[in-house]
Amino acid sequence: MSEWIRFWVVAVLLCIGVICYAVEVVGIFRFGYVLNRMHASGIGDTMGLLFIVLSLMIASGLNLNTLKILLLIIFMWLTSPTSTHFLSMVEMRTNPHLDRYVSRRKAP
Amino acid sequence: MSVETAYQFLFLTALIILGILMGIVLIRSIIGPRVTDRILCINMIGTLVICSVAILSWLLHEGYLIDIALIYAMISFLTVLVLASVYIRKGSGPARAPEGDVLRSGPEMDAGVSCAGGDRLMAADPADRIKEDADE
Repeated sequence: MSEWIRFWVVAVLLCIGVICYAVEVVGIFRFGYVLNRMHASGIGDTMGLLFIVLSLMIASGLNLNTLKILLLIIFMWLTSPTSTHFLSMVEMRTNPHLDRYVSRRKAP
Repeated sequence: MSVETAYQFLFLTALIILGILMGIVLIRSIIGPRVTDRILCINMIGTLVICSVAILSWLLHEGYLIDIALIYAMISFLTVLVLASVYIRKGSGPARAPEGDVLRSGPEMDAGVSCAGGDRLMAADPADRIKEDADE
């Protein structure tokens, strides 16, 4: 019986993770500009990965793989904002038509 | 139905859905108008692949696949950083940028304009740029 309880917990967490990824993909198509699409892609990078990996941790029990999966979460949560920041920097530096999408304040 | 069969069914379904999502993101990266769209989509595909490899490591009972997922995460991060530094060096600041969108490439653009080779892009015909602006 306890195995089935664990199975349903894993199933719910996995479904939440997959739904997060589906929302991310829908958002990629619904938004119209790169800096808006980054907002959508942040959902999957944080919550989708967290829930799927959490379900795997519960399914596999406590062993060395759990520690490695935890390391994966920590690494992805550190690197995903960094790469998004770099991408937005590329967009700000190289798009000549930036004023159509972004309203920038003049420097005083 | 035993618990093992239920786990197999659950994780296989998740893998199939993740594969379909990967294909959809690939379509988005093909039609994405600018280079940053494409890099963003490649980053998303990388995250999906990391999740799939983590699920596969449970399905196949192979612990070392999680190490592969970690290395994949590192290489995906490095890809974004290297591409970003390349494009930042190529287009240097919004003040110097010409009227045409330098990094924009797609089926609606002229054949001579692509995202590779910045100096070739600078030499594009100004009349085309004006026409393109009027189209937009």
